[in-house]
Amino acid sequence: MVDLVWFQLLSAVLFVIGLYGVMSRRSAVLIVMSIELMLNAVNINLIAAASHMEGTGKFSNFDGQLIAIFIITVAAAEVGLALAVILRMYRNKSTVNVDEINLMKW
Amino acid sequence: MEWAWLIPIFSFAAAPLIVLFGKYLPSKGAFLSILAIVAGFGGFWVVLISWMGADPSTSGCFTSENTHLLTCDYERSWFNAGRIGDVGSVTLNWGILIDPLTIAVLGLVTFVAMMVQIYSLAYMKGDPRFGWYFAIHSMFAAAMLTLVLADNFLLLYVAWELVGICSYLLIGFWHERAAAREAAKKAFIVTRIGDVGLLIGILLIYREVGTFSMLDAFEAVRTGAMSEGVTTAAAILLFLGAMGKSAQIPFHVWLPDAMEGPTPVSALIHAATMVIAGVFLVARTFPIFEAYDADPLLIVSIVGLVTALVAATIALVATDLKRILAYSTISHLGLMMLSLGAFGYTAAIFHMMAHGFSKALLFLGAGSVLHSTEFQETGEMGGLRKVMPITAIVFSIGALSLGGIPILAGFWSKDEILVAVSDNRNVTFIVLTLFTAMLSALYMARAMFLVFFGPLKSQNEHAHESPGAMVVPMILLGVLALGFGLISFNWPGSYGGIGTFVYFKHAHDFHFEIWLGAVSIVLAVGAFIAAYLIYVKRSVSLENTRSNFFGILKVIENKYYFDEVYQWTIDRVVLVFSRSIAFFDRAIVNDIIVNGPADVTRKLGIAIRVHVTGHVYTYTLAMAIGSIGMAIFVWLRVA
Repeated sequence: MVDLVWFQLLSAVLFVIGLYGVMSRRSAVLIVMSIELMLNAVNINLIAAASHMEGTGKFSNFDGQLIAIFIITVAAAEVGLALAVILRMYRNKSTVNVDEINLMKW
Repeated sequence: MEWAWLIPIFSFAAAPLIVLFGKYLPSKGAFLSILAIVAGFGGFWVVLISWMGADPSTSGCFTSENTHLLTCDYERSWFNAGRIGDVGSVTLNWGILIDPLTIAVLGLVTFVAMMVQIYSLAYMKGDPRFGWYFAIHSMFAAAMLTLVLADNFLLLYVAWELVGICSYLLIGFWHERAAAREAAKKAFIVTRIGDVGLLIGILLIYREVGTFSMLDAFEAVRTGAMSEGVTTAAAILLFLGAMGKSAQIPFHVWLPDAMEGPTPVSALIHAATMVIAGVFLVARTFPIFEAYDADPLLIVSIVGLVTALVAATIALVATDLKRILAYSTISHLGLMMLSLGAFGYTAAIFHMMAHGFSKALLFLGAGSVLHSTEFQETGEMGGLRKVMPITAIVFSIGALSLGGIPILAGFWSKDEILVAVSDNRNVTFIVLTLFTAMLSALYMARAMFLVFFGPLKSQNEHAHESPGAMVVPMILLGVLALGFGLISFNWPGSYGGIGTFVYFKHAHDFHFEIWLGAVSIVLAVGAFIAAYLIYVKRSVSLENTRSNFFGILKVIENKYYFDEVYQWTIDRVVLVFSRSIAFFDRAIVNDIIVNGPADVTRKLGIAIRVHVTGHVYTYTLAMAIGSIGMAIFVWLRVA
């Protein structure tokens, strides 16, 4: 069995790529994609941890899987919401560039 | 007698009726006010007659242990705080107390108020606030009647303050004039200072006795339940209130200015309401003053004497007719206080009434002169008896009465005071009292001669006698000023003189000290003759005396600089103190405690709002750094 640390490494790399994407992209669509990446990085981490948990048998502890299912559900809802917001944004401002969406700043 | 509380209620009811419905009624509702006070006057007779017929077995009546007078008390519960009987529960009562003092003052107040209101019908004719005037007038009389009837300190205090506010409204009646506004404020504030003393005194008595009832307080004093120190303190505090209302030095400054109101108002204030409230208060609470060694009475008599003397000298040099009368009032109030202080209870009440009738008469006469000539300075008058003979006659009766010329009311009452002072105080008092009496004759004679005698000035030739509504009240008051002294004698039959009607502990028959009477007659008549020579014949010139006593004269003409000293104190002490308080309020309370936190928050907001860039990646970065920070923190904690 592959060591847990490799999974965690993969998860961390994916997460940081996602974080970089959120911070550096100007397009709202790309930011949403980066957020998805970060969520999935967390999913990998959780499932790997769950499958390595010690117990009476394999997959005896379902906590990680459960939370991953939740995250997938929330991510689906979030994408639906985010895309709707982006659509409205585009209709109003004819752009999805977040730098131009700055009505809430001081 | 149980229904005596209706006497003020009539007038209380008239006031709002006039204000609300006056404009739909004939004469703007003034007749309501007059009807109410006539009903009050009728009530006075009913009370007097039923009191005469009462004896200690009548319901509510008993012979007071404190005054040895037949006293009737009708008390009802006003409200309860807490359950009755519980510890700490308070029951407040209100009720009426009827004894000879009440009856005497009741008669004075209702009669003078009635006369003044009838007179005002003509005097105030055409005034734009005619109805309002009568409404307040009614209220004023009602408040004073309540004060007189009150059987407990709380009701008395309520009425006392009502008298104060009504006087404020009436003195400032012509509030378009700055002087009237100032005078109204002055009257209200100066009497207020004394009222604080009164309030503290009342609360002190309440704390000691546990009730506001006056009779209980007197009982506590008599039985010794109230200790000597507390009793003395309470008496002095009550006297402070009396000094404010009765314009005793150093609180006398408001009264001369109070003449800014309409003249009938001055007549009412000076004769029947307001100023006699103080004398009445001391008389009413006399058992408290007289208890133990009667030390407070010495203070009362000294304050009274100083007031009488100082005010009399100012009245002598004043040139404004109403101002002369105002200082004369202060002087006579001083004499009443002096008399009370010298155990002359009967004399003080008698003088209060004799002075009330005479002074109301004088003010109504002065009002008549003012109405006709439009002048207030005595220098602009002279010889007016030729154009307004009736006013001249009644004014002279008032002046002779207050001057203490025999057979007029003022002579007998003044004589009673002199007897009381010579019996109970030392020789300095009696000499100064006689001197004051002489000054009193002199300034009354001066006012009378300057206004009505001598040559008529051409500017006053158009002057005319006042209308009937003004003349009739003056004549009625004149009859009283002339003949009121008769009630002081022993008459054949059951009436034994005023000394057997109003007295404190000891009834006494009328008595007349020959030497005192002779001296006072000589002084009074001499003063009138001297004034006649100086102001009418002009055979004696004052120019030399004037220059010899220039310094003293200047001090007196400036009213002993009382107003200046007060103004200085207010400017230099009160206002400076207030300004430093105001500075503290602005700088510390407002700027630091209140605005300080607000300012810090605002500055902080300005400082950190630059971080709200509106760029998504700044927020994300902050979030990431925050998360990492928290993770490190948790990791360190765990490790």
